[in-house]
Amino acid sequence: MPRAKIWGFLAVLLSAALFGLSIFSIFVLNYRDFTIFNAVNLNELSTMTFYAVSIPLAAVAVFVLCTGFWIGWIILTIKVVPPMPEIVEKKDNSKIKAVFLCLITASLAALIIYGVYVRSFWALAVPALVISAVVLGAVFWVGMAIITTRSTLIPNKK
Amino acid sequence: MRVLILGYRGNPYCGGQGIYIYNLSKELAKLGVTVDVMVGPPYPDPLEEWATVYKIENLNIWSIKTKDIPLEKLKRIFSPWNFADYVLTRLHLFPEMETFSFRAFFALEKILRTKRYDLIHDIQSLGWATVPMKGYGIPIVTTVHHPLTKDREADLQRNWGIWDKTTTILFYPLVMQGFVIRRMDRIITSFHEGVDELKKAFRVKKERVSVVYNGMDVEMFQNTGEPREENALLFVGNTEDTKKGLVYLFEAMTMLPEEVTLTIVDDGPPKKMTAGDLIKKYNLGHRVKFTGKLSYDQLVSIYSRKTILVMSSLFEGFGLPAVEAMSCQTPVVVTTAGSLKEVVSPDCGILVPPMDPVALKDGIMKLLKNKKLREKMGKNGRKWAVENFAWSVAAKNTLEVYKDVIKEYRSRV
Repeated sequence: MPRAKIWGFLAVLLSAALFGLSIFSIFVLNYRDFTIFNAVNLNELSTMTFYAVSIPLAAVAVFVLCTGFWIGWIILTIKVVPPMPEIVEKKDNSKIKAVFLCLITASLAALIIYGVYVRSFWALAVPALVISAVVLGAVFWVGMAIITTRSTLIPNKK
Repeated sequence: MRVLILGYRGNPYCGGQGIYIYNLSKELAKLGVTVDVMVGPPYPDPLEEWATVYKIENLNIWSIKTKDIPLEKLKRIFSPWNFADYVLTRLHLFPEMETFSFRAFFALEKILRTKRYDLIHDIQSLGWATVPMKGYGIPIVTTVHHPLTKDREADLQRNWGIWDKTTTILFYPLVMQGFVIRRMDRIITSFHEGVDELKKAFRVKKERVSVVYNGMDVEMFQNTGEPREENALLFVGNTEDTKKGLVYLFEAMTMLPEEVTLTIVDDGPPKKMTAGDLIKKYNLGHRVKFTGKLSYDQLVSIYSRKTILVMSSLFEGFGLPAVEAMSCQTPVVVTTAGSLKEVVSPDCGILVPPMDPVALKDGIMKLLKNKKLREKMGKNGRKWAVENFAWSVAAKNTLEVYKDVIKEYRSRV
């Protein structure tokens, strides 16, 4: 088997295993009693240790949410003048959706900041899970592409 | 003088940036400047004759679905910058400029162990890592033909629905460019109104902007001597770009006599549908035709044969087709949008207000009716193009900016 394909299989297996493990450990293993996580006491950690973990995680999460807010804000406020004649007849409700985008992202960002402030387990776990899912998803998807893509064909001499 | 030119894409045959790097480096070398070029793919192979080329890796995978990425590129995805590129492109960002700047920053650190530059000239990449490059103690100049805010505005005009608008906003790295451009030692733009545009878009101080007209190949773009067609209009440009104001040209066409035809140098339907839809709407199918992409020789020939070049633009950062047409002694009818009122002198063509199909029609009719005026404007256009827009002129003016920046920088340090 070509070396690239071996790397592809490894990427798929490793990313799937790691993501499966995190889902299993959070949702499957504790499906009977989710309140177990409420008992996780992050106050026992030293302030230094807690913020060393929580600040980078919260910063990434808040940055992404702020980007969402910024996109909504631009859609709401940008003046696109004058409208092109060919699109002026179309109805576009993106401004209404942009209001919701701003509200949702601002609320989630506030919730994360508050969660970190009160040292909630979920304020760290949810962003960590989402970030891991994005990175592992990318690795998985590339691995799948490597496995399923045929190598470049030898050019036909004719 | 030793100069390093940075460009994230270097194809010398298409894409404004690659052509700019190719010609500017060639003419600067003729003026005695030692030029090194650090460039991303597609690479400008022939540059080696007059410049040292440092190739920076990039997979160019934006807008390519993962399953369609060639295996050779897939194998290289797991290196740190390529993986960052991959993830960001999947999130609909256009990270080529960012990652190019970081790769260039680290590559430059190695080069500077054995070389020294008097100046770095960044060609509109404005990536985050261009700012720490200043730490190497070299002044940095950047060329920005026009702020991307104009492109984003035009795209948002065309977008329909929140998803299209979101992907457009994510695509343009305006926050990064705004942050970086304010920290450059000098900004070169290609027209005087561009100074105000940059101030408006990025809060750039006017005194830090220099105007150097873009160059073009006046040797290649010369009239071929082929007979001119009558009543034949020409449009050269991307029909999907709403900034080109094609809809106003089509409206003008409906008011022009039936014998007036329009040739568009771009792909038409089914590859590009916008113009095709408008042609149906205005019932112009029998009077408008598309040529698809043309070689340079074919382009020079078509400029030399058609009666008038028309540009109905709502904004132009330079207006290359107008200059190419003038260089081929073809009179032009252009709007006064953006750089066009500077690029086209009133004795080389007719200038009309943008978004005014009646004025556009009147301008075209004035020229179509008067052959002598067309010939006079054609000759004036050639002279104007050679005097102002030859690459040698652009390089000479750019070199003046370099000298000024270096002098100012050294007086500060």
